[in-house]
Amino acid sequence: MRTKGWQSIFRFTFVQHIKTKSFIIGTIIMCVLVAAVAVLGNILPAVLAGRDEGGNAAVGEVQFSKIYLYDDGEILDSEDITLLAKNMGDVVQSDAPLSDIEKTLCDTEEPMALVRISKADEAVFSVATRYSKAAGSGAADMLNNAVRQLISRRNLVNLGISPEDYPKTLISVTATRVEAGKDELSLVKSAMNYFVPIVVSLVLFLFIYAYGSLVAQSIANEKTGRVTELLLTSVRPLAIVIGKVLAMGLVSFGQFFLLGAVGGISFAISAPFGFMKTAFSGDSAQSLVQISGVSGETENFSEISELASELKGAFSPVNILLIILIFVLGFLFFSLLAALVGASVSRIEDLQQAMQPYALTGVLGMYLAYCPVIFNVSSIDSGEAATNPVQTLSYYLPISSPFALPSAIMLGSLSPLEIALATAVLAAAVVLMAWIVSRVYEAIILHNGNRLKFGDILKLAKRQ
Amino acid sequence: MGLTVSNIVKKFGDYTAVDGLSFNLQSPGVFALLGTNGAGKTTTIRMILGILSADSGEILRDGKPFSATGKPVGYLAEERGLYPKIKVFEQLVYFCELKGMKRREAVKSLDYWFERLSVSEHRNKRAEQLSKGNQQKIQLIAALAPNPDFLILDEPLSGLDPVNAELFKSVIREEIKKDKFIIMSSHQMTTIEEFCRDIVILNKGKTVLQGNLNEIKKARGRTKLTVKAEGDVLSMARECSLSVSEETPNGCSFDVESEEQAHRLLNMIIGAKIPLIRYELREPSLQELFIEKAGAENED
Repeated sequence: MRTKGWQSIFRFTFVQHIKTKSFIIGTIIMCVLVAAVAVLGNILPAVLAGRDEGGNAAVGEVQFSKIYLYDDGEILDSEDITLLAKNMGDVVQSDAPLSDIEKTLCDTEEPMALVRISKADEAVFSVATRYSKAAGSGAADMLNNAVRQLISRRNLVNLGISPEDYPKTLISVTATRVEAGKDELSLVKSAMNYFVPIVVSLVLFLFIYAYGSLVAQSIANEKTGRVTELLLTSVRPLAIVIGKVLAMGLVSFGQFFLLGAVGGISFAISAPFGFMKTAFSGDSAQSLVQISGVSGETENFSEISELASELKGAFSPVNILLIILIFVLGFLFFSLLAALVGASVSRIEDLQQAMQPYALTGVLGMYLAYCPVIFNVSSIDSGEAATNPVQTLSYYLPISSPFALPSAIMLGSLSPLEIALATAVLAAAVVLMAWIVSRVYEAIILHNGNRLKFGDILKLAKRQ
Repeated sequence: MGLTVSNIVKKFGDYTAVDGLSFNLQSPGVFALLGTNGAGKTTTIRMILGILSADSGEILRDGKPFSATGKPVGYLAEERGLYPKIKVFEQLVYFCELKGMKRREAVKSLDYWFERLSVSEHRNKRAEQLSKGNQQKIQLIAALAPNPDFLILDEPLSGLDPVNAELFKSVIREEIKKDKFIIMSSHQMTTIEEFCRDIVILNKGKTVLQGNLNEIKKARGRTKLTVKAEGDVLSMARECSLSVSEETPNGCSFDVESEEQAHRLLNMIIGAKIPLIRYELREPSLQELFIEKAGAENED
């Protein structure tokens, strides 16, 4: 049997590789880096947004020790001021010069603010808030929103709407504009369309290409060390290829999975402390605001919720299975190619030169996978889905589809039929590559002397 | 039973590496595959092992096509190959498993051979940490540990010091006693002569001499004469129409056409009362046969 013994090759190659110091140290370093990126990526935005206590707090949680109110527009009445004081902190209507208040805010270590309401016209008001360092920008935003809503509320009450009916006036209307024939994309979705293919194709390229190269290196090392001849007294060359490719595939996939798990766990552990704190909680939209129907919700919060929702959708079980399948097929395609390259040299010193066509193929595939996205930057601003012919090609070309398809699946850029077709093309390419390897590998594995060129390998394939 | 090689041919492009080689190993013992560099020995061995396929002809083991994945064959390659960075015991277990052994029996067998070849203290060392001689012992263990009934030893003693060479020889003798089929290839003719029963000498892919070594020698007759005496024997040899083939401190060697020629010279030395130290009339050695056959062909 031509493949008898591949299990032993597989086991030995796998065990020996994961025992190497370089693999262990490299994996530990990568795990630490991935964990750090996941934790920092989660916590840093929250830390930067609310370096101080008021940063992300809800209205009910924000308490100023003193709010100096200068209502130059004379719009708010005592009921409004009582409402403001109840929800935001003590309100002081002072006649002191603004410069004195400003100085107080600078000197104090307590959360204080100065709110000045001006009236430019009958229907044009402005609210300017100065805040102490202890109060923070987040709390000041909340205060601003609350005062704006109170002005609006007072205006409606003055026009005859009862305070009880005021919440009913707070209706939400969203508006989008989309060119006919194109998909509607939010800013978050557009940003994901841009960044996910780049990040995913780069990560997949690193794993698939790097571990494919290790297959070539392992085969070339065995040829240089004359171990190949000894192995061939027990197993057929095809068994060596199968064992090595599968072993390195498992190492690659295992490391990929491990890093993914480390990243996911780190993200989950840090979630209660980061910007995703409320994004995944489900009731987030309601948790922020209420001053008698006055909403202080910040706009970017809804984007975080949308991002969370998009990420949940991108990593659905079906998508994960499809990504694993494409990862495996892509790895097989490139590692079989690498096995041929490894077998075509007699000395490990010649491998680097022999690997150039392999490297170029891989790099070209990766660029095809994400370059069309880069050149379609306008989709971020326009909120329109990209329809780039090069990108479409990259889904069906076996050298690029392993890098392009996973992100397309995650983003839902392809229909199930298109995914099936692209996966089938990749699978067919793997079968073709396996057929070529089975025909040629036996002829070139014992080749000694000058490096075999692509033409020589093709001739051997024909002769076989 | 045994190995049958029938008219095998192997070409690499226009170059014929092995041209119609045939031989039989029907009973256990050592078979010598000899030849100059590039004669086709390694190609023949690779075809026997199934690493290369013959362009024509057939190789049968016990009447069936020879297969590397069938019954295990122990192989000590001329160009030794070990993983330099991996502990030797681990890689030997792996080689044994590839030959179909279970891990437990592989470990048991390896324990025996590490002890037998006095390398037990090196079992957990990486191959690159071992001397060349010890690496060669590890290679021999790789060939012997699966306990194959068929062994191919390519230059088994090259690079070994006399003590280790003797150790290897004793192991080979043990294997012969165990009724193993052994194909041995070496340029050390005295070693081959010590062990082998049948020989094939290849030159440029063709068989130039083949058969049972003793019978080949007997057929040649005693044509090699070595004489050492305390006097001038060269003039007497000329009188007997003998030409000197080699002159060394151990005496002069002559190629004789018949034993009578040698006897005449002996009578002349005795008649002249020259003290005779050494007089040896013998069959040609394997080395002499090899040089005669392979050397002559190369001169052509």
